[in-house]
Amino acid sequence: MTPDTVLEVRSLSVAYRQGAGWSRAVDDVSFALKKGEVFGLVGESGCGKSTVSLQLLGYRHPSLRAEGGAVLFKDQNLLKLARPELDKLRGEKIAFVPQNPTTALNPGIRIGRQVAETMVAHGRAKDLGGADAVVGKYLKLVGLPVDPAFLRRYPHQLSGGQQQRVCIAMALCCDPDLLVLDEPTTGLDVTTQEQIVSLLIALRARIGLAMLYVTHDLALLSQIADRIGVMYAGKMVEVAETEVIFNAPKHPYTRGLIGSIPRIDFDSAERERPLRGLLRRQELPPGCPFSPRCDFALERCFTEPQKAEPTGPESSVACWRWREIVPLPPEPIVIPPLPEAKGELPLLTVDKLDIHYGSAGKVFRAVNDVSFAIRQGEVFALVGESGSGKSTIARAISGLVPPAAGTVTLEGKALAPRVNRRSAAQRRLIQYIFQNPDASLNPRARVGETIARPLHYFFRLDRSKAAERVAAALADVQLDGSYAARFPDQLSGGERQRVAIARALAAEPALLLCDEILSALDVSVQANILKLLQALKAEHAIAMLFISHDLAVVRMLADHVCVLYGGEVMEIGPVDRIFAAPFHPYTHTLLQAVPVPLQPPPASDGLNAGEPQRGGQGCVFAGRCPWQIGDICETTRPPWRAGEGGLRLRCHHTIEALNELADWPPLTETSRATRTRHENRVD
Amino acid sequence: MSILKLVATRILLSLLTLLLVSLIIFFVLEILPGDVASRILGRDATPETLNTLREKLGLYDPAVLRYWHWLSHFVTGNFGQSLVSSRAVTEILAPRVFNTVLLSLYAFLLYLPLTVLPAVIQAIRRDRPADHALSVVTLVLLSMPDFLLATILLFLFVVVFRWFPAISLVDPTSTALDYLWAMTLPALTLAIVMAVYAVRMLRDNLIEVLDSDYIRMAELKGLSARRVLFRHALPNALVPTLNVTALNLAYLVGGVVVVEKVFSYPGFGSLLVDSLQLRDLPVIEATVMIAALVYVGANLLADIASVLLNPRLRTA
Amino acid sequence: MVAIDRAPAKPRRRYRNLWRQTPQSFRIGLIILLLHLILAVTGPFWAPYGFSQMGTGIPLSGMTWKHPFGVDQLGRDVFSRVVHGAHIVILLSLSGTALGLVVGAILGLLSGYIGGWFDNALQRLLEALISIPFLVLALIAIASAGPQLSGNPILVVAVVALVYAPRIARMARAAAIDIATRDYVTMARLRGESAWSVMRRELLPNATSVLLVEFALRAGYAPVLIGSLGFLGFGLRPPTPEWGLMISENRALIIITPITVLGPGLALASLVVGLNLFTEGLARILGRTVRLGNQ
Repeated sequence: MTPDTVLEVRSLSVAYRQGAGWSRAVDDVSFALKKGEVFGLVGESGCGKSTVSLQLLGYRHPSLRAEGGAVLFKDQNLLKLARPELDKLRGEKIAFVPQNPTTALNPGIRIGRQVAETMVAHGRAKDLGGADAVVGKYLKLVGLPVDPAFLRRYPHQLSGGQQQRVCIAMALCCDPDLLVLDEPTTGLDVTTQEQIVSLLIALRARIGLAMLYVTHDLALLSQIADRIGVMYAGKMVEVAETEVIFNAPKHPYTRGLIGSIPRIDFDSAERERPLRGLLRRQELPPGCPFSPRCDFALERCFTEPQKAEPTGPESSVACWRWREIVPLPPEPIVIPPLPEAKGELPLLTVDKLDIHYGSAGKVFRAVNDVSFAIRQGEVFALVGESGSGKSTIARAISGLVPPAAGTVTLEGKALAPRVNRRSAAQRRLIQYIFQNPDASLNPRARVGETIARPLHYFFRLDRSKAAERVAAALADVQLDGSYAARFPDQLSGGERQRVAIARALAAEPALLLCDEILSALDVSVQANILKLLQALKAEHAIAMLFISHDLAVVRMLADHVCVLYGGEVMEIGPVDRIFAAPFHPYTHTLLQAVPVPLQPPPASDGLNAGEPQRGGQGCVFAGRCPWQIGDICETTRPPWRAGEGGLRLRCHHTIEALNELADWPPLTETSRATRTRHENRVD
Repeated sequence: MSILKLVATRILLSLLTLLLVSLIIFFVLEILPGDVASRILGRDATPETLNTLREKLGLYDPAVLRYWHWLSHFVTGNFGQSLVSSRAVTEILAPRVFNTVLLSLYAFLLYLPLTVLPAVIQAIRRDRPADHALSVVTLVLLSMPDFLLATILLFLFVVVFRWFPAISLVDPTSTALDYLWAMTLPALTLAIVMAVYAVRMLRDNLIEVLDSDYIRMAELKGLSARRVLFRHALPNALVPTLNVTALNLAYLVGGVVVVEKVFSYPGFGSLLVDSLQLRDLPVIEATVMIAALVYVGANLLADIASVLLNPRLRTA
Repeated sequence: MVAIDRAPAKPRRRYRNLWRQTPQSFRIGLIILLLHLILAVTGPFWAPYGFSQMGTGIPLSGMTWKHPFGVDQLGRDVFSRVVHGAHIVILLSLSGTALGLVVGAILGLLSGYIGGWFDNALQRLLEALISIPFLVLALIAIASAGPQLSGNPILVVAVVALVYAPRIARMARAAAIDIATRDYVTMARLRGESAWSVMRRELLPNATSVLLVEFALRAGYAPVLIGSLGFLGFGLRPPTPEWGLMISENRALIIITPITVLGPGLALASLVVGLNLFTEGLARILGRTVRLGNQ
């Protein structure tokens, strides 16, 4: 242990209780944290990264067992320390920031108390009642209001971002040496995430404490971490400096992971090939856990365990072929031109849609005056933060939620507001795919039955005909025919989502409503499904309403984009016009918040996370807008303005002024890199 | 304000439920099984006596009218007269209800520690021998019919150890100590029966809470195990147990029927059994209505309490 | 084009492994239940004495090899009576619970899926029935059935069903409402499937585990309910060898020969323990949580 080491993890192995036995979640993981260093731990769900982070605080639980190794903090092994000794360290020297602040704060205790309690436990305050002043100091540090009324609030009275700030204040209130952050921004909106990350970067500059930052988001990590450890199936496969991880990754898994990240900045000429296959925990080989998915695996890889091999003073890789392998050429993405619009009607039009929730007394305007049109075979993306009304629009189109006003037209005919009043053909042509594949498949029906149901229902096919079509539908989503005999609980999330897509395709629809269908999936699975959707678009010419909060994904897939805020359209137009100046202020805010690999986040401009001004006189974005002109934004509805190439946006600024204000993308020369398809289409 | 509205709705729904209960009881007891008068008189019935009794009971009136009479009297506290002793039902009920309320309170006091202590021990020693042993004990006690448990307790404490009298006789002249002595065994039986159910529930709730993110957070910020348990876990685990406690109160009303019978305790439950055997309709109706009232009231209180204890609902 | 993924290996289901994977409580419960079932089916053929045969030994002579559960006041062998009673208790419990399950499940699932005024009205009625403590409800139902029917096994079955149906209906309704919000039911609605088809294809297959556990749970308490009725003198009539009735009859003898009470008590309690263990294990196998107990 060198003197500037804060904490060292030595060959840590942890197991979880599973039924009667134990299963390894973390296997022989070692790394060390230096003073003031930010160490990032990255990997897909179930790789054991969160388990490692909890062991840094010596966390114990009846269904968790450290099976070997040590966590050394100042020559004390936290795994062996008695509980009272451990209590003195945790919160005082090593502090924790949880993944989900909503569940991590005790719902029955006021937030001021929850912070004060930590200080009392470590002797930083005498009693709970008199700690208000010191607590206030730390709330101020994390950018929260300090008035006594705020301290007396309960967690549920705070927004997600504020709750996370409280958790950070709680972690900082005893001036720890090490901060352990377990996915601290997962589940928050992208703009809130950006604020939290900016806060952490600022705090690090001011206090200089060491951090372990756990996340699945490599791009985000590149903004804050000095070194990164990559985990796969419980093993640490690579540790290296952040620049090295991105520019010269050594382990095949790291390469694939980086290749799988959807890049918003289009710096993808030298793109690595994304990951293929799936992680099947039940079928791991005795050797390298990644070998079944590895393009470079030899016979030996499957049978011989890999040891971490140093590649530099502070880096290592667990692959004995790292010196010899060269990256495979990226797979060309074939993007077909859109079918010619033969002057016919658009496939679907939405006209002046209003959707309200609640009863007469308290009306919540979920969607207000939204109009757009989707052409045959195009991907139309709806983008916005949670609560922007994007899913509500899809539900109205499908006939689940009747709109308060406005019409939805399919192939020139107005659709009935409720699904049970629509014709069978209309119901068949629009197919919904839900966000969570766990809930959208009947757990008691085999995959084959699930896919066959629309075939029986819409086409009255007999058994053998249906079986053929089921196999064809599975092949469409790149699944083998043997999947038909499986139950959903035998499949992974990505496989289930593909089955849900196959079920929708079986109905031979003209329009797929894809409601955040990638957001519950890991990045490598996302990349595969994204590829699948691109192929479907090419082969079947199916139009999609693609709902997403992930702008990078939207940029890769969509033809047209509509940006929503507070239930209203802010900006609408072809994808290349949306991702280029002029920007609507809200679009600009969103784009700036998306982390770009190896780019520092924009200097935080004190953007306040306000609520949309629904049903008011002025602009819904007023109060939160960084470019707000003045009172006019609060009092007058902004006019529609037309830009080039069919772009339309709603703002009091002129197009010229917005062009002036635009400060995105961050990489000016390379990000203009061309993607041929867009040039083909614009003119 | 929404809290008041919530409470008001709950109260109205409870009243509606009670009204339905009264309808069910009245029509089941008085209308379904043929002639009340001949049932009351049994083998001694002659056409004349039957006729007079029917007149007296107003059996020639339409059913709806009789229900209305009964209900309007009931609401004003006039429960009618016993068909057996001709005394006012209120007069018969009052001492019995008093005895049972005392017994229930006693049982309830025993119930609280009998619930919390084993549940806490099980939760903190989870999946260890102590937890398994207590699980077996509660499962066996849970599977034991209350009349059997009462009989076994009686056997142990009265026959084997000879600590208590076999019969819990109390009357208005008894001293407080007499009462306490007489009530201990029946109260203990009731408390055990109520507690085993609540223990299992509280253990599961506690373990669920102990597995929650905010307990992990509390541990990770360095709070002692004791503070985590008593300040963070227990208050949150007790709230769902409130509803079980309400159900237990409701059980008490039925449970006393058996337990009072075993110990010959002169309470409300043994009154119900006796009046059922004697077919004393006004007494039966009054006791069943009181039982339903306790059930509905207890559930209402538990609902309101869980609203008040939940900051999310309270501050809404 | 990406290579087509093969399906994960099918989990091998070997019966020996299946048995080993079941929770311990399930296994113990099942063994106890099987013993009781064997007792119920074969008991009448090998019981040493008849269930109402008097003069089998000296009354109140206590525990002997010849009379393991003693001899009651009328000189009947208590052990033989317990053996003869097994099939009565089990048969009545199961048929009463089954009747309650059928009625309750149909009402509850319909009510939960249809909703509207039908659901509201049924809800209030069930709530009112549940508000009457179950023993009290059972007692007034028996009292109102009149003397002609009292002691009739069919009445006991009907009363068990009456007590259970509202509680099972409430459970089934909650299950139906829960399942109806899942995305796969929404998919079926978007397809335009009829209510009947949704019920058959989506609701029922997913509610079976709830209903199964509910049945086992209620069946576990039915012997206690029947025993309580017998104990209070409102159930089956003497000389029927019903266990609760026997405990009541011999209760006065507890000071002289405790085994005449503890014997039938042991039989009754072990049956319920077996049923409860079985239920708990079954629930764990089906991935449900269950609150054991009579409420």
